[in-house]
Amino acid sequence: MNTIEKHSLTLPNNVEFIPQLATFIEEVTESYGIDPSVTMSINLALEEAVVNVMNYAYPEGTLGEIDISVTFSDGSITFTIKDTGTPFDPTKVSNPDTSLSAEERPIGGLGIYLVRELMDEVSYCYENNHNILTLKKKIQ
Amino acid sequence: MNTTIKEQNGELYAVLDGRLDTAAAAQTEKEMQPLFNSEGKNVVLDCNALQYISSSGLRLFLGVLKSVKAKGAHVYITGMSDDIRNVFAMTGFTNLFEFR
Repeated sequence: MNTIEKHSLTLPNNVEFIPQLATFIEEVTESYGIDPSVTMSINLALEEAVVNVMNYAYPEGTLGEIDISVTFSDGSITFTIKDTGTPFDPTKVSNPDTSLSAEERPIGGLGIYLVRELMDEVSYCYENNHNILTLKKKIQ
Repeated sequence: MNTTIKEQNGELYAVLDGRLDTAAAAQTEKEMQPLFNSEGKNVVLDCNALQYISSSGLRLFLGVLKSVKAKGAHVYITGMSDDIRNVFAMTGFTNLFEFR
């Protein structure tokens, strides 16, 4: 383990900042010695969760922030994503039907599903005017 | 992220190079326009240099597939990494595309 004690990042609600999220996650996972495949899964889950907040939490045209923080304990890495936008529980979104043909398949609707598939635990709560989404992945 | 498209042996051959994340998706969609206007030609998506894809990129792949299939042609994927193939498997996309 290295000496970084607190990992956190704040981004505006603009998807142009997603590469900053990727860089942040790569720095964190590298510091914990997490392998590239698991890093890609974490990166993808975090991008989907954060983009969902960027696109939908705040009314269009208004500025808002998204706070991402990371903790590591008992062989698991846990990401907490907070925003002060409209209350929204992504764990209540129904899964897409992944067995449909190309013609039947709707465009979109995969983001939240990927978050659930890629992480081991996904939980949501609304506290003190904050949406708080917690994503946990076992590493060891 | 960089997308280059050339016509080769009567097919449209697209090389996708880089990270296809949400930030890159709008520009990539513009660069992919020739694939949406494929006029019945088969399309090959060369993913050898594709490092990453998120749902915004999957949405573009599905859009190209729908458009090309509607004209009676095929979309073939070549050179996809195991990690990206895993994302395709998870989302049912492996069954939608043909792989070369």
